[in-house]
Amino acid sequence: MSSEAKPVLELQNISKSYGSVQALTDVSFKAYAGEVIGLVGDNGAGKSTLIKVISGAHPQDEGRLIVDGQERHWKSPHDAMNAGIETLYQESGLAPDLTIGSNIYLGREIERKGLLGKLGFLNQKAMEAGAIKHLENVGITVPATKRTVSELSGGQRQAVAIGRAVAWAKHVIILDEPTNHLGARQSQEVLNVIKAAREQGLCVLFISHTLPHVLEVTDRIIVLRLGEVVKDAPTSDFTVESLLGTITGLTV
Amino acid sequence: MSTQEGLQGEVMPSFMGGVPKPSSILKNQRFVLFILLVALVVFFSLKNSQFFAVAEFQSLLIDFSALILIAIAETFVITTGGIDLAVGTTGALAGVVAAHMMQPMVTSHNNQALILLFGTLVAMLVGAIVGAVAALLITVFNLVPFVATLVTYSAGAGLALVFSGGAPVGFNPEASTWSTTGIWIFSWPVMIVIGLVAILGLVLHLTRYGRYNFAIGSNQFAARVAGINVRRHVSSVYVLSGVLAGLTGMFLYIRAGSGSPIAGVTNSANLEAIAAVVIGGVSLVGGVGRLSGVILGAAILTVVSDGLIFINVPPTWIQVVIAGLIALAAVIQTLRRGQRRTT
Repeated sequence: MSSEAKPVLELQNISKSYGSVQALTDVSFKAYAGEVIGLVGDNGAGKSTLIKVISGAHPQDEGRLIVDGQERHWKSPHDAMNAGIETLYQESGLAPDLTIGSNIYLGREIERKGLLGKLGFLNQKAMEAGAIKHLENVGITVPATKRTVSELSGGQRQAVAIGRAVAWAKHVIILDEPTNHLGARQSQEVLNVIKAAREQGLCVLFISHTLPHVLEVTDRIIVLRLGEVVKDAPTSDFTVESLLGTITGLTV
Repeated sequence: MSTQEGLQGEVMPSFMGGVPKPSSILKNQRFVLFILLVALVVFFSLKNSQFFAVAEFQSLLIDFSALILIAIAETFVITTGGIDLAVGTTGALAGVVAAHMMQPMVTSHNNQALILLFGTLVAMLVGAIVGAVAALLITVFNLVPFVATLVTYSAGAGLALVFSGGAPVGFNPEASTWSTTGIWIFSWPVMIVIGLVAILGLVLHLTRYGRYNFAIGSNQFAARVAGINVRRHVSSVYVLSGVLAGLTGMFLYIRAGSGSPIAGVTNSANLEAIAAVVIGGVSLVGGVGRLSGVILGAAILTVVSDGLIFINVPPTWIQVVIAGLIALAAVIQTLRRGQRRTT
């Protein structure tokens, strides 16, 4: 990795509390382009809070967030998106009644040329064509992007959602439980899309409770417990048992 | 559903457990509505040959125009997942205030076009203010749209009575001649309304504004995380609804030659607008709908209301027939949603 020297995302001593609840304490790590990082921990370990800090949903109380060498302060998730960080939320980020193409371009619509474009008229054809290309880039083949998302199965929807995140992310994609509620084959497809994202030089933060998935697809695993990083090590150092032990704190 | 196999392999191969066929029911519904509309016209014409006449079509178009703008206002609101109970009364209030403001001009000026243009601007402004109040209650005070617009509904109906003293105001008989002159069956105000309908249809289905409308109604969370300013968009939709209601108030003023405080109440215009939307196949939970369906819905309601009078059905029964139409449309919509869920 050529960019080894310069992390694409760096957290320095991030702390965050909600009232009297200390959700994150002094969380620091560096993440590099082309790296898949597993973020694991028990419920309440601080994973969700950490995602919210990185994706711009909730700001941290203390600590520095550095993206591509620049310190950042998000005012909204949109700021993070503009800086090249895409987040796939557990709650669906797709509008089921819109077509696949419209969803890929939601918030980033292509307008028509000239006066019509200035009046807000959309170039639906260009978006449908672009959507096919974006999805094919991560190995998802779609014959009809004119189909609405509500007509897709759960796995297909997740594919479209991840495809969209990969299409727009410049630096980091955050995937919060992307294989939840999916069957074995569909989960495998999601993992393949993550690998495709890594090959495109993106940094992937993969949050999951399904430890075999974490062990299969990640390069490095960061374990959180009670708001603190308790271990940050290459994936090859872990087995399902040792990872589970680290998460629960029964072994270190 | 029988579409689980067959399409497999053709579509996103690895992900699929089979893909349901694109639902053609929505298209079919508009086709059914069109057939129903033609059948109704034929039926009333057979019952009374005078129904099929230029004069009757002219008056049908006027009644249709009085309904379609508030039905479209309702469509914009409902596709975002909201509802506006106040379109009829907002129209009445706007008509009364505009009539009031035009009154001194009517007695001192002769330029009707200028007077009506001024009145139209006043009516739009009144509508926009009422819409802005609803928007404020919804987006800042977090009231549900039903309650927020119940407030503007009551306030509008009450203020219309206050401003008018309970009787039609601002008599301007010359204004009503505008609604009988024009080209063939199209009077001038009707032509303006038709032009507005076309523009609003383009906005809803082909522009970024319309796209955000459906996105918000379909999944507000998705719209927000995609960077859409949901609060601002929803506010603008209620203001637009108010403006269209105001224009309808002005249209009613021109038709009657005065502003009536009860225009929006006695004709239960609020409910008729919602009925046109439901019959037109717009989903009441938001995210789905075509303006062409709403146009057909409004046309069917107009033909039924006028036609029943034509064949001497007591007006009291018309409400019941319309209720039947709404029930039918709502049942079809529910069945359709259920069908989609099982796929």
